[in-house]
Amino acid sequence: MGRIAIVGVGQSKFGKRSDASLRELAFEAYSSALDDADLESSAIDGSVVCSATHYDKQRSPAGVVSEYLGLSPKPTFNVEAACASSAVGLRIAWSLVSSRLNEVVAVVGVQKMTELSSGEIQELMGRAGDVMWESPFGTSMPAYYAMYANAHMARYGTTEEDMARVTVKNRKYGAKNPQAMFQKPVTVEEVLKSRPVSKPLKMFDCCANADGAACLIVTNSERARKIIDKPVWVAGVGLASSPMSLAGRQGPLTSFEVTKNAAKSAYDMARMGPTDVDVAEVHDSFSITEILNYEDLGFAKPGRGARLLKDNETELGGKIPVNVDGGLISKGHPVGATGASQITSLVHQLRREAGDVQVDGAKIGLAQNIGGIGMYSAVSILRS
Amino acid sequence: MGFEKFGRFGYVSQTKISPLVSYLEKNQIMATKCKKCDTVYFPPRADCPKCRDSEITWVPIEGKGRLVTFTEVYFAPPAFQDSTPYLLGLAELKDGLRVFAPINNQIDPKSLKPGLELLLRPKQAGEGVYYQLEPESPKENG
Repeated sequence: MGRIAIVGVGQSKFGKRSDASLRELAFEAYSSALDDADLESSAIDGSVVCSATHYDKQRSPAGVVSEYLGLSPKPTFNVEAACASSAVGLRIAWSLVSSRLNEVVAVVGVQKMTELSSGEIQELMGRAGDVMWESPFGTSMPAYYAMYANAHMARYGTTEEDMARVTVKNRKYGAKNPQAMFQKPVTVEEVLKSRPVSKPLKMFDCCANADGAACLIVTNSERARKIIDKPVWVAGVGLASSPMSLAGRQGPLTSFEVTKNAAKSAYDMARMGPTDVDVAEVHDSFSITEILNYEDLGFAKPGRGARLLKDNETELGGKIPVNVDGGLISKGHPVGATGASQITSLVHQLRREAGDVQVDGAKIGLAQNIGGIGMYSAVSILRS
Repeated sequence: MGFEKFGRFGYVSQTKISPLVSYLEKNQIMATKCKKCDTVYFPPRADCPKCRDSEITWVPIEGKGRLVTFTEVYFAPPAFQDSTPYLLGLAELKDGLRVFAPINNQIDPKSLKPGLELLLRPKQAGEGVYYQLEPESPKENG
């Protein structure tokens, strides 16, 4: 079985994109990925359209996205794994190309969220958990992560200041990312003073709903070498699941077993471990999530995630720079596009094209993408 | 039909385990037990994934438990916005069974911490019927 490569990446501007529809956002990312690979659209022989379709007005968006990109009658379908949709899309493309069902696949992650009224968004958010046993009590996406935060604080002494530092770090880098939704730094005080959402999480601990798209062009090694001088190789695509209901999960809820399992499978596949990673993109849907992710991915020991941050080890120049593109907290979280956006940033890092936020000598990158309230987690490892 | 009465706002109306609602109306919290392997499930389930058997019986559960974690919700889905802020908790009952439930809003949020002993009690509010976590000796069934 040959190696699988990413030969082109593209991303639209994320944010409140009242100028563009879902299909037009997809086109922006797709077209820029083709430009990046210096390919014509005719080279693409299939697409995987990734979105959490409950947010889209368009039902089954793969149909209209494939049509608008000019890809009909080539095969297409939707992949949905909530916030992890397009990381799972990469895994699907990996298997399509490995099996030789396809040769060059476009993974298109896209989401149009700001068209929904805040009432519609809140109603959807209320059904993010188990609708039989948890939603009837008034759960919300932040409430679940807040429960992990309280457990981590009680067990390890993690503080609200520690969590605020995640936002401060990521917003600092977001200010350097022209495609980010928020490009203004914030202070620890501003985070601490923002209004409560679900205690201990406050508004600035949370990422924002956004519109946006990101695209990855995936192919086999023979074709990759013809397309581009320096392909980025997909070394590992780990994926795991966890009970959706919180009551179905074991332990003190100070870590996500689902991420540990996905990481193990990605590290095993890539024959690597956490110390091999030069740069990482992790799912900072909430500030606490980034701290847990450090621990679950093996960058820090259990309970030591906040310490890693305090020691500036996840900053540029640190041991393992994390989310130096601004993360979800700065970029916004167009659910279906987020995984492909993380991978896009890593590809830029591994090709030494990350400009102001380039991690010196980065050869191995890791992206971690959680789906929903932690029922899915995808870990992708790339190497130059 | 009938399960829409479960909770403060029900999303699901049709299920094989809707007898839970009638039990709660009679002030009983019941779990299901697989007739084949005796595994007890709470929240109840109609099917045992271990032996793939769907013959179940209903058994009462003891409500004594310890808090695993909790949160105080300020930003709520539309059906719950009139009652913010409110408390949600995850507790571990006897035999490792876990339950996700509201926490009685008369409790001081500052007193909440993992390990705190609480009782799971049936609760009726308007049309709805459910269970909630309460201090061991509550002043009243708030």
